[in-house]
Amino acid sequence: MSPQYFRLMYHTSRSTDFEVHRNWLAITHSLPISKWYYDTTSEWTLDYPPFFAYFEWMLSIPAYFIDKRIVDLNNLNYGAWSVVAYQRSTVILTELVLGVAVLRFIRGSVDPSTQRIISASLFLHPGFLIVDHIHFQYNGFMFGILLWSILMARNGNLLASGALFAVLLNFKHIYMYQAPAYFVYLLRAFCISPNGHILLPRFLSLANIVIAVFVLSIGPFFLMGQLPQLLSRLFPFKRGLNHAYWAPNVWALVTALDRVLLKVAQKTGVNLAIDAAGVSSTTRGFVGDTIFAVLPNVKPIHTFIITILIQSVYLVKLWRTPTYKSFVAALTLCGYTSYMFGWHVHEKAILLVLVPLSLLSAENHAYFRTFLIASVAGIFSLFPLLFTPAETLVKLVYSCLWIILVIVPLNKRVYEFPRTLPSVILDYTEKAYLAGFPLLQLFVSLFPLLRSTPLATPSSTAGSTAPSACVSTDSFTCPDPDIQLQPSAPGSGSAMEFLPLMVTSVYCAVGLTWAFLRLSVIYLRSA
Amino acid sequence: MADLPEHGSFDGLLNRKHMSRRLSYQSQNSTKSLGPHVGRVVQSLRPQASSGSIRTVPDSDAESEIHSPIPRRHLLLQTDTKHWLKPPPLSPSSSRAVSPLSTPQTNSFTTLPKIPKKSRRGSALSFSSLKEFEDRTQERRASLRPSTINTTTDDDEREGGAGKRWIRWMHKHGMKHWVVPCTILASVCVKWSTGLGSYSGAGTPPMFGDYEAQRHWMEITTHLPIRKWYTYDLPYWGLDYPPLTAYHSWLFGILGNWINPEWFALDKSRGIESPTSKVYMRFTVLASDLLVYVPALLLFLRAWHGSRSRRTQNIALLALLFQPSLILIDSGHFQYNSVMLGLTLLSMNFLATGHDLLAAVCFVLSLGFKQMALYYAPAIGSYLLGKCLHLEYKSGIRLFLRLGATTLFTFYILFLPFLPPFASISSILEPISRIFPFGRGLFEDKVANFWCASNVVFKWRQYASTDVLVKCSAALTALGFLPSVVGLILGSFNTRVSSGGGKKEEDIMQNPTLPLLPYALLTSSMSFFLFSFQVHEKTILLPLLPITLLLSGAASNSSAFEWGVLVNNVAVFSMWPLLKKDGLGLQYVALTVLWNWIIGANPLRFRGSYSFIGLLSAAVYTAIATLHLLELVLSPPARYPDLFPVLNVLVSTPVFVLTWLWSIKRGIEVSWALGGVGLRTKQKGDPAGPSTKKD
Repeated sequence: MSPQYFRLMYHTSRSTDFEVHRNWLAITHSLPISKWYYDTTSEWTLDYPPFFAYFEWMLSIPAYFIDKRIVDLNNLNYGAWSVVAYQRSTVILTELVLGVAVLRFIRGSVDPSTQRIISASLFLHPGFLIVDHIHFQYNGFMFGILLWSILMARNGNLLASGALFAVLLNFKHIYMYQAPAYFVYLLRAFCISPNGHILLPRFLSLANIVIAVFVLSIGPFFLMGQLPQLLSRLFPFKRGLNHAYWAPNVWALVTALDRVLLKVAQKTGVNLAIDAAGVSSTTRGFVGDTIFAVLPNVKPIHTFIITILIQSVYLVKLWRTPTYKSFVAALTLCGYTSYMFGWHVHEKAILLVLVPLSLLSAENHAYFRTFLIASVAGIFSLFPLLFTPAETLVKLVYSCLWIILVIVPLNKRVYEFPRTLPSVILDYTEKAYLAGFPLLQLFVSLFPLLRSTPLATPSSTAGSTAPSACVSTDSFTCPDPDIQLQPSAPGSGSAMEFLPLMVTSVYCAVGLTWAFLRLSVIYLRSA
Repeated sequence: MADLPEHGSFDGLLNRKHMSRRLSYQSQNSTKSLGPHVGRVVQSLRPQASSGSIRTVPDSDAESEIHSPIPRRHLLLQTDTKHWLKPPPLSPSSSRAVSPLSTPQTNSFTTLPKIPKKSRRGSALSFSSLKEFEDRTQERRASLRPSTINTTTDDDEREGGAGKRWIRWMHKHGMKHWVVPCTILASVCVKWSTGLGSYSGAGTPPMFGDYEAQRHWMEITTHLPIRKWYTYDLPYWGLDYPPLTAYHSWLFGILGNWINPEWFALDKSRGIESPTSKVYMRFTVLASDLLVYVPALLLFLRAWHGSRSRRTQNIALLALLFQPSLILIDSGHFQYNSVMLGLTLLSMNFLATGHDLLAAVCFVLSLGFKQMALYYAPAIGSYLLGKCLHLEYKSGIRLFLRLGATTLFTFYILFLPFLPPFASISSILEPISRIFPFGRGLFEDKVANFWCASNVVFKWRQYASTDVLVKCSAALTALGFLPSVVGLILGSFNTRVSSGGGKKEEDIMQNPTLPLLPYALLTSSMSFFLFSFQVHEKTILLPLLPITLLLSGAASNSSAFEWGVLVNNVAVFSMWPLLKKDGLGLQYVALTVLWNWIIGANPLRFRGSYSFIGLLSAAVYTAIATLHLLELVLSPPARYPDLFPVLNVLVSTPVFVLTWLWSIKRGIEVSWALGGVGLRTKQKGDPAGPSTKKD
């Protein structure tokens, strides 16, 4: 596996996340530890857990020697070649953690040649290319730790697995999504013997290790009395239900339904209780909060309760069958549930689902099909992160290549002929759904062109491709606030500007929701 | 049950046990499924069918007790002879060309197989088959020394670059049909990613660079009448390529105008560097590449490597598609070399398949796209001339006339807008004078050719005027490509078809000198690069094409492979000053490493072979690494600001000169193998060599 190719991505456009991470380098380098979580020089304040801050601090030391201006706190939006090359190189270097972890997976696996495909697919995942190497984050590194932890669980070293997961949590708290599965599995498989006795020494050693990790991480801040500040940075509940670009989950579907209902109500004049704030919310450009016009509004507590309830179903199943396979499936499903029902979910979080799901992809045909649908829809849902035409070709071609090289050999290994009529219908429906993605991409890429030419009427083209195209006004903004899209056509055109994004979101949400249901059923019905 | 007696009459006595088995056997086969009537028909046929198979069992044995039923035998088992153990002859409909060397070789390794002197239809003698032979003799030599056996086989298993391992994996997992699409997709990805970077003359007003030149041509060709194309505002990147480039620019200009007129507005769009226009320009390069160069490569594999295995062809494709220099210049620096190279390659393919007229058309188109294709002209021209000589007297003349007419006609079509029916005859002078500028100096930037390298010690321009130098360079160039021309013409003259041999012109697909062609192309283009006038560092792409073609099918321990890798790497290195200026340093490193990784060449490892090329490579790579390190650490002294480019030239030029010499040497070797150099062979009546005599 050569990271040479990724180096070519140095020249791609830089997102806000790039500046975010540069700013963190500056914060951790030039400020004392007591001020890390208080600094507001830039709008991109430090909102990752302390281990990540330590990590940035370590990275900032070589950065200082390469170019002093990188770590200058007031040098906002610094985009010189030195900082670009340095930051992108750190991503490639830290991704080696992932590389080593997936290589270790091959050793000792039941079917090394299949595992080799899965490992390669993980290391070369288009999600990492899009989110890490072009958009800019350190997901390769993080998922390296996660996979390492899962590997430890596979090899029976549950203590190390738990410790690594605790470390991971202190790098990035989004992995809380998966924490319930870890908690149940470690408790059941490690701390309780098969015949139901509690193994106290084991429990204590596990608890000690986890506590030690947390002390290392937040201890200094606890001593300085900064815990509330830290927590308020980590868990900002001031944001809305949906991210600016709707992450394709259940709420995207609900929001779309709400918009459709609103349109229907306005057209037919049916007397529905329309929330005025909701109506204005649909036309506002930037979304602070999504307010439904027709449907009842959703509060953070609701999403929280729904998530916990659904997760508990899988956790009960995991408690009963505390095996490694069951654990990985439950882990995936916990992450999936949070993604589907969470509050203000970011589309990048789909990697939390796709990565552990990859490990299951070669189990049998059902898992493989789920993996296929979730991967295609999930990767496609990441495409709007890259918006310039130059990057479009890269993401498309790379993803196609990945799909071919992963899907074809895996399919050959696990293929099963559909035996019953419903399964045949299902098979064809799913294939039709997958075949819709090229059309969707065609629509998304041609839409700006068609809109700018007066000959084409947007509504007719949109209506033929997208079922929900009757929604003319919506609340989309660009994926990132600093993005300047193409100069938009005046007047009614600007309202249509975000239609491709919305269609993408809804179409992917359909697939991801279906994959979620599929996976749940497969898991709960498995022996 | 009623059928039972009939069985008895046929098979002799059956005891009860076998009777039942027999019955079930029989019924399984036919009776049960087909009904009684059909069953009887089958049985009536059966004696006839099995009579052949039981010939060894005479009728007298029918009396004896047979303890087992006579098994039905497969057709193959029924025959006494074991001829089916031998591989079947390749059918004429097979996609693989029959290589004349492959059959005799399997029987006689030791004797050098004599290649049939007269080419026959279907005996496509490609350089790959010659190479195959070379590999085998090498293998044999290696196997004579028992100590080396293990090391070589181990090397084969472990080594094989990433590309080879990937292809092996794909084939093992039943995905061999995906190899070519995936390779092309991956190359598109790499080319496009290279294109994300900087380009020639980015952000350097007022003149910018090659990128702006190409864009400017799209601008003027779409907005001006044809007559003004070669005359409009010449100081600002006036059009100085032949008409096909102009037509190509015009097409893409029209397409671009349709998408966004701002990109190519006349005069107003000068120096436009908006991201979308850059994307469009990169797209035009990629599209031209995909439309011309990639199909030409695929055809090349069929035409020239047709006798090799599918895997070898795939590996060759990988090596050709990811060639770093071409990607860097086309997708990075910004030019359309792949179109010119692709057209030449197409012409080569047509030569290999015997379509000489089409080959001539393609080559003229290549010339019409970029005059640089002239570097290949001596080789292609003398090959075609050789073919005319090779043929029988009359048909030779006829072919010559047809070739001449085709060539002239194609040129006429290309220059049609500047020629009599549409314009006065004098107007042709405008494009011609633009295309061949003799007013410029001997060489421009630091380029790794003979003139620039020797200029370090011998200041040519102080001793001689431009005129003399032009003549000198022309003479040296001609001397440089003379060996290839002589080889091609003599080779085909020696093997000419005697009149009255009963051979029709249509029977003769290709010249026997076809395997010489790549070497001749290399010799000719390299001599132009080294000795001719006004050479750019980018021109090294022309010699690179034939040597990469030679490399593409070669085994990783053959000399062609080692030379190919060395020349490719040195060529990229020789363009380093240019790439550095363009801001393509990162791509330079990434693509070179990627290509070496794919084909499995490791410059850092000394192979331990004390052959000339091994030692040379080690020395050159050391020098390159040292130079790069020095450049990184030191800044050049004020007295010699060009110190590093000059050192670069001094490292690269010897390698290119040696390559040129190597290509001549190989050319002589190959023509020797084809039937002697200038030695009119006495065994003319004995075309079959010692090896074929055996059969």
